[in-house]
Amino acid sequence: MADADLLNLVLFLPLAGIALLVAVPTGHDRQVRGLSFWVMVVQFVLTAWLYVRFDAQVAGLQFETRLPWIPDWGVYYQIGLDGYNVLLVLLTAFLGPLVVAGAFTAVTKDVKLFYAMVFLIQFAMLGAFVAQDLFLFYLFWETMMIPMFLIIGIWGGERRLYATYKFVLYTAFGSILMLAAVIYLVYSLQTTTGVTSFAFADLYRAKLPLHVQTLLLAAFGLSFAIKVPIVPLHTWLPDAHVEAPTTGSVILAGVLLKMGTYGFMKLGFPLFPDATRAFTPLIMTLAVVSIVYGACLALVQNDIKKIIAYSSISHLGYVMLGLASLDLLGIQGAVIQMVSHGLTAAGLFLIVGMIYERCHTRDLAAYGGIARLLPVYSLFFMLLTLASIGLPTTSGFTGEFLVLLGAFTASWPQYQQGNALPLVLSVVAVSGVVLGALYMLRLAQHFLFGAVKAPHAPLTDLDLREKLILAAIVVAVFALGLFPDEPMQKTELAAKQFQQLVTTPRLPGSKP
Amino acid sequence: MSWQPVVTAMLPEHLLLLGIVLLLVLEIASDKPRGALVVSLLIVGAATAAATWLYVTGYAAAPFPGHYSVNASGSLAKAVVLALAVPVLLLARDDFPEGPFYPLFLSSLYGFCLLLSSDSFLTLFLGLELMSLPVYVLVLLAFGRPESPEAALKYLVLGGTATAMFLMGVSLLYGGSATLALSSFAGALGSHDIMAIAAIVLIVLAFFLKAAIVPFHAWAPDAYEGASLPVTAYMATIIKAGVLLAALRLFGTAPVSGSMVDLLAILPLVSIVWGNLTAMRQRSFRRMIAYSSIAHAGYLFYAFLGAGPGRFQAVVFYLIAYGVMNILAFASIPPGDDDAKRDRLDHLQGLFHRNPYAAVMIGIAMLSLAGIPPFPGFVAKFLIFKNVIAAGYTTYAVLGLVGSYLGIYFYLRVIQVMFINPESASATRVGTGRLALAASVICLIPAILLSVFPNWVFVRF
Repeated sequence: MADADLLNLVLFLPLAGIALLVAVPTGHDRQVRGLSFWVMVVQFVLTAWLYVRFDAQVAGLQFETRLPWIPDWGVYYQIGLDGYNVLLVLLTAFLGPLVVAGAFTAVTKDVKLFYAMVFLIQFAMLGAFVAQDLFLFYLFWETMMIPMFLIIGIWGGERRLYATYKFVLYTAFGSILMLAAVIYLVYSLQTTTGVTSFAFADLYRAKLPLHVQTLLLAAFGLSFAIKVPIVPLHTWLPDAHVEAPTTGSVILAGVLLKMGTYGFMKLGFPLFPDATRAFTPLIMTLAVVSIVYGACLALVQNDIKKIIAYSSISHLGYVMLGLASLDLLGIQGAVIQMVSHGLTAAGLFLIVGMIYERCHTRDLAAYGGIARLLPVYSLFFMLLTLASIGLPTTSGFTGEFLVLLGAFTASWPQYQQGNALPLVLSVVAVSGVVLGALYMLRLAQHFLFGAVKAPHAPLTDLDLREKLILAAIVVAVFALGLFPDEPMQKTELAAKQFQQLVTTPRLPGSKP
Repeated sequence: MSWQPVVTAMLPEHLLLLGIVLLLVLEIASDKPRGALVVSLLIVGAATAAATWLYVTGYAAAPFPGHYSVNASGSLAKAVVLALAVPVLLLARDDFPEGPFYPLFLSSLYGFCLLLSSDSFLTLFLGLELMSLPVYVLVLLAFGRPESPEAALKYLVLGGTATAMFLMGVSLLYGGSATLALSSFAGALGSHDIMAIAAIVLIVLAFFLKAAIVPFHAWAPDAYEGASLPVTAYMATIIKAGVLLAALRLFGTAPVSGSMVDLLAILPLVSIVWGNLTAMRQRSFRRMIAYSSIAHAGYLFYAFLGAGPGRFQAVVFYLIAYGVMNILAFASIPPGDDDAKRDRLDHLQGLFHRNPYAAVMIGIAMLSLAGIPPFPGFVAKFLIFKNVIAAGYTTYAVLGLVGSYLGIYFYLRVIQVMFINPESASATRVGTGRLALAASVICLIPAILLSVFPNWVFVRF
């Protein structure tokens, strides 16, 4: 089958999964779990095949499908893989089976509905990554909200209703303003060039005056900044992560947060280059504030999940810093950091979920000396902690190092011209690495070492399923850390295109 | 005036009239009349088929020149809304096994068909009133609540006020233009003559009252709650469609400008915000739908800010998507002990565990009404706001979008009650009745088609 058809199959496989789930009669939970797992595995295998077939030397879209959907509006069903999304699509497909398998023992009520929601959100996330048409992108972007609402609301913790409404209403507000901006952007393109189209390729050619670009960047940026999240729009994240069930947190941290950074990379910055360059100092400042403030907040938490939640804010600050640097290595570092954070955060939430299933508490003070009780568990815990810190040979190091290198490379010439702010910000960002080590090692020290205490002792160590899930993540982290060249080659042309799109002025009257 | 175009052009209306006569004959001829539902379904089905046939053959004629004419898009609108009447009838069996409901219902549909083909204010008025008068009675008919008579009276009095305003406006227009043709309205839109402006304002406000726009909305919550479920479904979908399509017929494709823009933007905007805010506090499902329908009327009138064929597309698509989803929701509400208990939101508590199909259907309907993708309500809202921005009223569009954001909470709350809240201890599994199931399937299939192939509607209007 042609590769383009294969991409369509990958995208719609979760919907087929939902249809199959509906066909299973109620009460056969084992069949439901098995079916969901194998559908996700098939999706991952197909995605990996597409990844291998992805040609790093070809600029532009590969495996593209473009069908007219609402021709009067210029809306097309257009999907494809390019350097921007190929790694993220692989990450989403990779986490799919792990998410399903991780929930086998955790979710015991309404199992069919749970996996249906997981499939639905997988469909929406993949669709948002591969969509190349703005209407289609917005459709998938909004569709992600409702399955998450139900996942947190039905299977979440004590304050799940508060957390899930906060999450949905916060995210929806950004989306509504983005909708107005989407309509206005396409309308502007139509009135200035006569082209009626929602396709990204056409929108990249729009020429808008600076004040219009600024307003539209603010609207798009608000929506993406809420998703990333960038301080000060981050207050929904700790509640959502803590109250969500393990699977929800893994999906949220593993993939959903990347939506925001992907949105900036694919849409926010390239669509409004002049406004982006004008506001680069602000973006860099917010990124560095996220890095440092997120790390400081993580340092003082006593809820294990909250530590990891705030660490997400900190790690994604690096991604924003890399994108704002507009340096080729910085941009590629940002992409690597996205994938790396997806893997490490997913792993950390999974491993915390495993101890929560055994001990039913997330309070750091309730644990101690777990290394002596659960040696295999502690091995994985330590490996994931080190990956999160960014120990060299893990993917975290590659991402953070490249981002900081890009930030310094971009800020040095500006310093020589008299603008010291980017350099100062880059130096402050480095402190984030130290802070990252601080809060993660504090977690590891209190949790793994010291006097032994654990609720509901004696505890059983990891079973085979849990070992395989964590091993898969650890292997991926080290593979990306030790052999980053091949993924980076796949993203290089896209990074170059991003750089070129953002640095080329596109005001009315400038040359095409 | 030959009889042949009269029969063919008015075929849907004649079939409905035949149905009314048949029902009356059935009522008179036997002590215990039966079969009213079957006759009504057959007649409405036949009328739908007739309207579809008129559309497919592209039949256009003016059997009463200057007053009544038929063309393809009008016939399509008739066919679509008559098709929507079928699930409403299916829902009616529980509350109205027999009785005057059916002839009144068919009369109201007759009025609807009449106003869709009207060319003069005379026929428009005839159609509007014929559509609305039976509904005043229908609100009272099932007498499911002690509040039903009060609700019907409120609706009657305020509806009468709307009629009075409408007639005053029409007479002012007639005074200014010496013709009863509908085109004089579009002509008066651009005029600065005080009499023309007064006429326009009176007529528009009459429509606002009939559609329940703030500040003329007070009848709607009581009427929706006091009426029985199928009548509420009918009011929320088809009556609203009739009022909006009549307004659409008056405005035509004429652009609005000047102070007319403020009239058409500010009151609907206030309706959007007010309707969504007050719906949040409701504990009764029908009352919540009433307040949310105030907001939806706001969106629909917003569409009039755009001009040209985009206005038609936006209003018609929105009416279809909104109508289908509303009836889907009403069809899926499980039966209850009495009307008041059945209406409460608590009645839906934990519905997913008792009847997953009904819960999913109501969930889909709520999400579509909230404008969340991938349901047709999203495309409908998108289309409306796209037209408003294309007409240049970006501020109004942004304000309208923020107003629609306010609506997300109470729709999500229904989903929370059904899926997240545990069911009460005494709850039992309830199946969906056969008729309700048929009604929901009739609504679900067009809904899916609309969200996957919205183009189908666009190319036809």
